[in-house]
Amino acid sequence: MTEPIRVHRPEDVSAHPLDPDISVIVPITERPEDLVELYHEYSEPLAESGRSFEFVFVAEPWGRKLTEPLLDIASQGQPIRVFQVGQTMGEAALLRLAAAHCHAPVVVTLPAYRRVQASALEDLIQGLQDGADVVTARRWPRHDAWFNRLQGWVFHGLLGSFTRPRLRDVACGVRAIRRDVLMQLPLYGDFFRFLPLLAAREGYVVSELAVPQHERDTSTRLYGPGVYLRRIIDLLGLFFLLRFTEKPLRFFGLLGSLLATVGGGVLAVLLYQRLNGQGIADRPLLLLGVLLLVLGIQAVALGLVGEIIVHLHASGRRSYRLAHQPSSPGSESETALPPQRGP
Amino acid sequence: MTLGKPNLSVVVPLYNEADNVAPLVHAVTEALAESTSWELILVDDGSTDQTVATADAIAARDEHVRLIQLARNYGQTTAMQAGFDHARGNVVVSMDGDLQNDPRDIPLLTAKLEEGYDLVAGYRMRRKDKLITRKIPSWIANRLIQRITRVQIRDNGCSLKAYRIELLRSIHIYSDMHRFIPAVAAATAGARIAEVPVRHHARRYGTSKYGLSRILKVLGDLLTIKMIRSFRDRPLAMMALGSLVAAVFALALGAATIVASVGFVQQKANAVVFPGAAMLWLGLTGYLLMLGLVAEVALWEHRRDGGEKLPLVHEEDS
Repeated sequence: MTEPIRVHRPEDVSAHPLDPDISVIVPITERPEDLVELYHEYSEPLAESGRSFEFVFVAEPWGRKLTEPLLDIASQGQPIRVFQVGQTMGEAALLRLAAAHCHAPVVVTLPAYRRVQASALEDLIQGLQDGADVVTARRWPRHDAWFNRLQGWVFHGLLGSFTRPRLRDVACGVRAIRRDVLMQLPLYGDFFRFLPLLAAREGYVVSELAVPQHERDTSTRLYGPGVYLRRIIDLLGLFFLLRFTEKPLRFFGLLGSLLATVGGGVLAVLLYQRLNGQGIADRPLLLLGVLLLVLGIQAVALGLVGEIIVHLHASGRRSYRLAHQPSSPGSESETALPPQRGP
Repeated sequence: MTLGKPNLSVVVPLYNEADNVAPLVHAVTEALAESTSWELILVDDGSTDQTVATADAIAARDEHVRLIQLARNYGQTTAMQAGFDHARGNVVVSMDGDLQNDPRDIPLLTAKLEEGYDLVAGYRMRRKDKLITRKIPSWIANRLIQRITRVQIRDNGCSLKAYRIELLRSIHIYSDMHRFIPAVAAATAGARIAEVPVRHHARRYGTSKYGLSRILKVLGDLLTIKMIRSFRDRPLAMMALGSLVAAVFALALGAATIVASVGFVQQKANAVVFPGAAMLWLGLTGYLLMLGLVAEVALWEHRRDGGEKLPLVHEEDS
């Protein structure tokens, strides 16, 4: 963690449980609402359940105004911690930061705006106690604009075509995760959205739970074209990362040989025609054939370099995770295993 | 009672082999009755049946047996690597969990290993499998693998192999490489390799997890291994070779441009298509050179971190 952090801590620390059962992480990124109201709404059912909890808010510089009222109620003894980063870092960095600074064994991530009913948090935490490592909320039944549902349906249809478990509300962002699991997962760039899928890739138990949608979560969301483009690129990146991180040449090799075969076919046809006396110097098809062949070779060469990089890194890395430590722990000291890292 | 460090570790990856676990443990125990100290490492590769329960129960009452449980189904290669990582013996034997290999062959393999080899591979005599879907593809694949890797192993698909632990500590298998361990061992560790004939039985319980689709994968992996083998020490040289070929095409098309514009009636399209194609090949020439440089950087960083291991050697007695 190298992000510049300034921590605003209330002076009266004694009011906070030092090791709460639940840490609720709220990264403040878009569409922020009144955070004090949000805190009261979501913390009430948690308090009723008798669990000890803390709320960890992380804000970028522009969120300063929003978090000030939180510090006021924190000084009155509410279990709230507020972190302020010095620059705009993006949501993944905020989540990573908050995860590193909270201590509860169970972490709940919550957007800074209302998406699900407050009662949902309790259900998600219950799901963890039933044996899951990650429980992600699905807003269901939906009662927001049809356009939201349509774009969600298309996106999750694409996503579900190549990922398991099939998730139907990745965008929701309300999740309960065991903290040790969260710390094992790579939270970078735009892939934090797919956190449950990254967890499933590491062999953790992931489940999706239908929870009631918040009545305020109804506005029609039409984004700029750049956002849609980014989501599609995310899907492409995810597809590659989930399937081919250990075997890049399978991806690039397949792509490259397809291109090269088509290109070679075109050139073969042209060669045949040339031998039969037909001129080819003025045929743009020749350009197409050469272009496809060249592209194909480039793709294979790139896959080869990827394969070299994987090969070089493989010796220092274990790409698997054990379900639990082996039964005879005493023996482990004899086999010097390199530290387990995610692929 | 707990055992000390065993001399021999038998590694068996299991994927949905619940019915085979108990007979397997029994057969291995019987076969190794005369061995001094051994362990059997069962690696569960995310089975969804009773494999884990059965294996766990056996591991609890038999001090020779250890269960390593993977968090999900990673595939046979990773399961084998996990077993190797947890092996404690000086000699490691890998075999399939479906009882098609015969544990009675283990002493044969280890005896051969004692003669001074790093890896001893079994090859299946009188194979008991379907002809069309298993034996013929396997025969073709083995010929190809021999041809391409230049490692003379008759039966790469046979899992029954014995390894010196030093070899296993110096190679690492991933993706779908378990079929090519001899090739990898020869290429990266300079291993001494031998073969012995082993018995083969028809499958008694459970179903085979292989299909014809693996043929394509094997071909792809073979290509990968071949490429890595010839590419990894001097990527720039290999890329430069490709780039040279591309340059020849570029020059040929360039010459064609000149001939076409001087010798024949000048047409506008002529003036575009040939030089265009020449430039595409020229682009590839530059691209491959740059890619070779990037690969050199990756390799350089790896070597600088001390990532390059020494090959295995045997100091001869004087």
